Amino acid sequence: MDLVRVRDDVWGREVLAGVSWDLLWLVLTAAFAIIIAHLLLMAVLNRKARPSAAGKKLARHAGVDRAFHWITAIATIVLLVTGVFPIIGINFPWLTPHWIAGLVLTVAVGLHVVRSLFFQDPLAMWIAPSDLKELAGGDVKTAKYSLAQKGMHLGMAVVVLVVIVTGLVLFLAIDTPWWNRTNSIDEATLGWLFLLHGASTLGLVGLTALHIYFGLRPEKLFYTRSMIKGWISEHEHAAHHDAARWSPEETR
Amino acid sequence: MTSYDVMPATELYQPVNIEDATALAARLGRKGWLLGGGQDTYGWLKDRAKRPDAFIDLTGIDVLKGIRSLPDGGVEIGSMTTITEVAQNPLINEKFTLLSAAAKTVASPQIRNMGTLGGNLCQDTRCWYYRRGLNCYRAGGNICYADSPEGMNREHALFGASRCVAVTPSDTAPALVALEATMLITSASGSRQVAAEDFFVGPATDILNMTALQADEILVSVRIPRKWADATFYHEKVADRNVWDFALVSLCAAFKEDAGQITDARLVAGGVDCVPHRLREVEQAIIGQPRNETTGEAVKVRATSAATTLNYNQFKVPLMQNLVLRALRG
Repeated sequence: MDLVRVRDDVWGREVLAGVSWDLLWLVLTAAFAIIIAHLLLMAVLNRKARPSAAGKKLARHAGVDRAFHWITAIATIVLLVTGVFPIIGINFPWLTPHWIAGLVLTVAVGLHVVRSLFFQDPLAMWIAPSDLKELAGGDVKTAKYSLAQKGMHLGMAVVVLVVIVTGLVLFLAIDTPWWNRTNSIDEATLGWLFLLHGASTLGLVGLTALHIYFGLRPEKLFYTRSMIKGWISEHEHAAHHDAARWSPEETR
Repeated sequence: MTSYDVMPATELYQPVNIEDATALAARLGRKGWLLGGGQDTYGWLKDRAKRPDAFIDLTGIDVLKGIRSLPDGGVEIGSMTTITEVAQNPLINEKFTLLSAAAKTVASPQIRNMGTLGGNLCQDTRCWYYRRGLNCYRAGGNICYADSPEGMNREHALFGASRCVAVTPSDTAPALVALEATMLITSASGSRQVAAEDFFVGPATDILNMTALQADEILVSVRIPRKWADATFYHEKVADRNVWDFALVSLCAAFKEDAGQITDARLVAGGVDCVPHRLREVEQAIIGQPRNETTGEAVKVRATSAATTLNYNQFKVPLMQNLVLRALRG
């Protein structure tokens, strides 16, 4: 199995052409292997009663953050469908919805970066040394976000930023309502762009599969609900979070 | 690029029935290569620009040959029918002269004698960068050489470019789209029919292939419905040479007229798009109008309203407009 695709350029020199799409199946296999292993593990280990959703409702996600999450989610799914399906032989006019979804993702991520840097605590999602004790297992209560959530966010942030930056440059090479395509990007540069774009796409495929799985896990569903409705219950907070590190306000 | 005098060693299968052919196509997939008259194929092989593992020669399958009347008054043409037969067939010359006129302009008499309708419809584009074996978008690469700043793109697309600017080289395809033909396709897993207009696919949908045929599928026949039989037709192909050349621009038009007015029309251009290019704006504009020079002058610019020219193909715009004018002038 190759890691990258190489081709001869117009001068006969070997240049990168992009990531090897054989890796797509490796990524999908790895993601599903992790999911199956986790399913089996949790079936054996996870016998705890889940905390009630009744009682006081504590604010977890503001409306604007929830909107960002779901806009990003939809854009990402559209990008993956339009980007990956043609690679596996499902052909349709994919390019226009692909770049539109890419622009939506870019704007959403841009706004999110501004909001998180200047209007929220940017360190809330940063992995701190105190988070690492979660690795030891047991019933460690976390701050607003667990180590796993921070890790997922960090991973997503890296691949999404790479996919956006490379996608924006590649955007110049297609016709849009605002400009006609350029073909002035040389083949070696294009190869690197496609390599990074493809590699980050593979990362996005794997992380998205895991993110959806964990979002649908029964013991995690209250986090998904909080991403829809904005709140978790006081019992859920007490069961999973350290009030000293994260003490949300009550909401309606 | 080196050219060779002999063919590379390749497996050759010569099935005599469609079941064996579809089984082979299913087994070989993209490693196999469906072979008709070979007029497109052998150039690829001789230049070593493409190297299939095996050929599936379809010319020994009788059901893929011949021209038959359909009960509805239409015509069915087997995919392995030669272009000469299509051009000379009395049935087609009686009802669908648009197709016979287009067939008569394909390449040269020798090539028409060998080449098949299926091959003419499924042939690959003639973009010289692609045919040279360069790793362009259409060959799975990341760039379109024809659309580069230095690219020589006199023959390339005005419409439908999506990373690749290659055009359809088929002379018969625009005629069949104009006649609302249907392609009968078969594979080991079943048969399906695809409208000619959907059979040809542009780079926005599939940049590696020019038709909707999957790797395991075979084009069995083309069915032309009665709808346009005996309509008024116009065909013109403009190329650098009068024989043995591909169209710079061609136009296939079918008109139905009543009391001096056009009641229905289909105009399809070749050589300007990766697929046969319907002139829908023109078609809509001429309904209810008389077929004359005034109408032609009034609507010809609509033929190219969505055109995006490249460095060297601007001449196709007035050429296309003039063909529309000539079609409407009659």
